[in-house]
Amino acid sequence: MMRILKSREFLVLVLLVVMILSVATVNKAVLYPITLINILNSSLFLMLLAIGQMFVVLTRGIDVSVGATAGLSAVIFGFALNAGLPLPLAMLAALVTGLLGGMVNGLGVAFVGIPPIIMTLGTLGAYRGLMRVLTGGSWIESIPQNIKSFAVTRYLSVPLMVWTMVAVVIVVALLLWKLKPARYFYAVGDNYDGAYLLGINVKMTRFWAFSLAGAFAGAAAVVFVGQIGFVPMQTGNGQELKAIAAVVLGGVSLMGGTGSIWSAVIGALFLTAVDSMMIFLKVPGSWNNAVAGFVLLAVVVFDFLIRRTVRNRRLAARAAEMRRSELDHDGAGAPALVQTPEATS
Amino acid sequence: MPDDMTQNAPVVALRGIWKVFESVTVLRGIDFDIHAGEVHALLGGNGSGKSTIVKIISGAYRPTAGTIEVSGMAQSFSRPSEAHAQGIYMVPQEPQIFPNLSVRENLLMGLVGDPVENAERARGIADEIGLAADFNAPGGELSIANQQLIEIVRGLLRKARVLILDEPTSSLTRREVTSLAAQMRSLTARGIGILFISHRLNEVIDLSDRVSVLRDGHFVLEDATANLTTEKLVEAMLPADFSAPVEQETAAATALGTKPVLAVRGLSSRVFREASFEVYPGEVVGISGVVGAGRTELAEAIFGIDTDARGEVVIDGNTAPVRSPQICQEMGLSYVPEDRHAHGIFLDLPSAHTISSSLMALGRSRFMAAAKEMELAETFVERLRIKLASPMQYARTLSGGNQQKIVLAKILAPAPRVVILDEPTRGIDAHARQDVYRIIRTLTADGVGVVVISSEVGEIAEVSDRIMVMKRGNLVELPAGVRSVEQISAATFDTNGEVTA
Repeated sequence: MMRILKSREFLVLVLLVVMILSVATVNKAVLYPITLINILNSSLFLMLLAIGQMFVVLTRGIDVSVGATAGLSAVIFGFALNAGLPLPLAMLAALVTGLLGGMVNGLGVAFVGIPPIIMTLGTLGAYRGLMRVLTGGSWIESIPQNIKSFAVTRYLSVPLMVWTMVAVVIVVALLLWKLKPARYFYAVGDNYDGAYLLGINVKMTRFWAFSLAGAFAGAAAVVFVGQIGFVPMQTGNGQELKAIAAVVLGGVSLMGGTGSIWSAVIGALFLTAVDSMMIFLKVPGSWNNAVAGFVLLAVVVFDFLIRRTVRNRRLAARAAEMRRSELDHDGAGAPALVQTPEATS
Repeated sequence: MPDDMTQNAPVVALRGIWKVFESVTVLRGIDFDIHAGEVHALLGGNGSGKSTIVKIISGAYRPTAGTIEVSGMAQSFSRPSEAHAQGIYMVPQEPQIFPNLSVRENLLMGLVGDPVENAERARGIADEIGLAADFNAPGGELSIANQQLIEIVRGLLRKARVLILDEPTSSLTRREVTSLAAQMRSLTARGIGILFISHRLNEVIDLSDRVSVLRDGHFVLEDATANLTTEKLVEAMLPADFSAPVEQETAAATALGTKPVLAVRGLSSRVFREASFEVYPGEVVGISGVVGAGRTELAEAIFGIDTDARGEVVIDGNTAPVRSPQICQEMGLSYVPEDRHAHGIFLDLPSAHTISSSLMALGRSRFMAAAKEMELAETFVERLRIKLASPMQYARTLSGGNQQKIVLAKILAPAPRVVILDEPTRGIDAHARQDVYRIIRTLTADGVGVVVISSEVGEIAEVSDRIMVMKRGNLVELPAGVRSVEQISAATFDTNGEVTA
């Protein structure tokens, strides 16, 4: 319990609540259920990208291509719908496109050994370019409008998409918690050599992290197209950095090995909520990125300072222990180095 | 060990193992056994081939020739997990901990089988060997001793019959060493064979049943510990062709009245404490010490890399309120780090750029004329006899000895008053080694003070005017006249023998 309260996810959740409540003192409309549901609904795209990104960052990687992967998946989704494919098949096509895009990154990083930032910068350019080639540079607009029905369906006045998201988060959380290979993502990011020495297939683990990031980008594309009903060329543009910011804000360390799906969920919610709060405070939209960036910096620096203090204290305590051990030795003469097992038990 | 035990088939046997890297032969047809219930200590200096043997047994390297037998059957490993499957587990010198995962996950990571069952077994083994740790706490909070126990439990969970303990005592307190000793006894009582590696000879004598000493890729001594003493071990570890150094007329002895170029007073850090010494113009002060004794940390504290160290450092008569590498170089102190690849050389730039790089941070001008840079490089290429096609040749394509000379040229370019050389001849051949010693002599002839840090006792004996020993964080000077390799070894390796002049 204490561990949850001390976690970064919890800190950001508290900040989120505090932010919403303080804006509510200026404008009560923030607390209307419809407002909160809208924030949830508009965070879905970023949240999916962030969950995918989380797998990569857990393994101490980074994927700057997820926005472009989402864009490419959106184009395929649009084409599939326009070709008259039923909705589930079109969704599958988008997911597979994302998965394949991620697998390319995974192959390059894990098996060829290209640094993640280089590999994914490359595919970022390639996927964006491919989008233009496929569409000839124009938007895909004539999508059958029945797909929007999926986006507007509500249960208990909450959109079906939000319910689906809740289910996805719970399933991923359970898998990350219980499934042994899922724990490999943490192990590989926390100590790559150690994981290798213990017989974990470190290359396969990294490969799957990137593949999952791609698949989630494909899912994000489905949500995006469902919500707006067409595919603009800018789909996913710049969202890769926002996804990275969301997971880091939520407590996934860029050094790997820490964080959880809640980091991605809460980080994405927070960044989306900042945008909405700006509207309620009547701050011009041009401030959104600056404010979100400032909040991210503040949280990360604060967290770093705390962690460094804790670590230094531990190191100093260890040094003192070593020194005492030497002094005892010099003073009291050598203790018996070898004791019989009976003597120590 | 009773004789009947050693006559059984060994659990692990190396037979006629050779290991050749590109041009260097590291192991020359060695045989090596580990028996059940026995602690077999493996000793040897730097570069003797010790770590190569460990890597071959634990599956990180494949031998160039020879066979590995496990319980009498020939086996071959190409990765650590295959060695695990044969019951061989290595506890590395730095335990491989997942700092952000729980202790439970640290223990179970990579294990096959039912997690609940495994967790129960882990709990049982942890209790048995005395690992007292909260299974839910993060691994990063464990003490070093407990991190080592984590590794041992991991080995036992994999049903290891042989554990390799690589320098397990180097970062433990004395109390922790005592309890590790008890744990080793209880492991051997369960029939586990232990390959024990340590620089501390008294621990080798106290804890092992058998000792093998490796030198230049083959065994020079293999005997039951009962027949051995620390003196015999030191003798075996020394190079065969080693002759006691000739008493030199030291230049420094005439330094009476001159000011020291480097004075360190009461310098302390986390790793060493209250280090004090002086270096006079034209003398070589050798600092001997085993890996982990605090030698490199001392150099880094003097040079301002470790900013937490406290104490006084006077460089050429001046003190600086705060030291950084740049300030130290401006004051006349240069430092050549131990790992030249990581800290000392730009491998993918022309050699001339590494040589001139030390001048970059000094002086007023922000520009450097290309012609001047070449001139500087050519001067040093000639002075230090660096073998390269042109100063524009990339450092990566040079031999280790020539790379080291380029690093030396780099630190000599600003004409320092005093230089610290950390392991100046590691990984270079005998010929280049003599060149480095010659460079050190030309420096002292010019009145530069030199500090040589080395774990090779022969090197310390050869180059030093005065000798200091760093042991467990304490720096002591050996009395004048104590300069035979045996005496320095006795003081450096943790033997119980008293050092007398």
